Amino acid sequence: MTVKENRIKMDDGRLTRAVHEEERGNIQPSGHPSIVAFFPCLRTSVVIVMVQVFAVLSCPAGAETVTETTSIEKLRSDVQSLQGQAMQLDEGNKGLRNMLRDIDDDDLYLVVDTESNRLEMRQGNTIVLTAKVGTGSRQFVKEDRGRSWYFESPMGSLTVLGRERNPVWIRPDWSYVEENMPIPPRNDPDRFVPDVLGKYAILLGNGYKIHGTKWKNLLGTHFTHGCVSLGDDDLEIVYKSVKTGTKVYIY
Amino acid sequence: MQSKMTSKTIWLVLLFSLFLMGADNGDQSGEERGKLLEQQKQLSARLTTLKREQDYLVFQRTMYASDSKYLILNMSKKTGQLKYKNRILKNFHFERVSVSGRVNRLTRGALTLTQKIEGDRKRKLLVFDKSLVMQGVHAPATKLETGIPRFSLSKKDFRSVYYAIEPGAKVYIML
Repeated sequence: MTVKENRIKMDDGRLTRAVHEEERGNIQPSGHPSIVAFFPCLRTSVVIVMVQVFAVLSCPAGAETVTETTSIEKLRSDVQSLQGQAMQLDEGNKGLRNMLRDIDDDDLYLVVDTESNRLEMRQGNTIVLTAKVGTGSRQFVKEDRGRSWYFESPMGSLTVLGRERNPVWIRPDWSYVEENMPIPPRNDPDRFVPDVLGKYAILLGNGYKIHGTKWKNLLGTHFTHGCVSLGDDDLEIVYKSVKTGTKVYIY
Repeated sequence: MQSKMTSKTIWLVLLFSLFLMGADNGDQSGEERGKLLEQQKQLSARLTTLKREQDYLVFQRTMYASDSKYLILNMSKKTGQLKYKNRILKNFHFERVSVSGRVNRLTRGALTLTQKIEGDRKRKLLVFDKSLVMQGVHAPATKLETGIPRFSLSKKDFRSVYYAIEPGAKVYIML
């Protein structure tokens, strides 16, 4: 600060100028009394301020009190908000779990894997029975008249529609075509063949059944015309376990 | 003069006691701060767990309503399930296939079957979102992008799964 600037300051007030002069060690002895002389109580104030400064410097925790209070307040509100979110999510999850539990059941169901030719009877997460089965041969049969049949087991979610003891096989047209035989009329006695489907049959609709077979050595392969063939013992267990309405999943 | 001194002493005592009170409060707030931070950490972890659970539950709810078969893969147990709605159709085991180079990390959650590949010598692959490849025990004869984690199933199990699901089917990864 230059002397000229000091003079300009003097126009604004003596106090300011006096302090500056003091800082530069250039106190005017005449005409300019010291600041303490103007304010006798200033000594006490300076002591208080010094004690405060000491307190602040000697205690960093104290120095950060304001910031800390703010950060604790923020932490408190963060924790509260997290608690709220957790409670809300927990409630939501409870609702979802209950909903899924309502859908879940402990009903018995059948699963047929047409790739590995296996049947599983399941109840909840438990496998009650595993058995080798025969499934659709995946072959075509063509008739001279132009009709053709593809022998594949029906895929998807099916339902047991009924059960039969000592089922009778009603030979369909393709059976005669396959053996190059003439096709008889619909009610021809030759069409009704007993003892080829085993002791039991489980009806799946559209002529498809789970039944027994004479060709037990072929179980575990694709050899049927679309029905699912089972060995005698396994068939008996399955027949006695399922009821109308039991779900059958074929994939 | 004496009264001035007394007044100063009182001031000093007052200020010092205030300072001491402040120091004590600092200790208390430090303790509370620690507790709050710990609580915050625990709550954040709980929220992560709850969000994961919610994600899986929502996935299940969606699949229960859907008419599509789907897979659940448990990476830690190396077991999988082929499911339809709430029903398990098949349980299987799988192994991680070691591939050269850096392999991307699998993240928890749902992926979609994007490709069914039938390569040379009828070696089949299921590709999920360029994030996961499932295959039979034999190494695939098909070139794939590098860095995709691969898992192999027994030949029989893989054939069953391969033909059971179609592109668009979902797989849920559980770590």
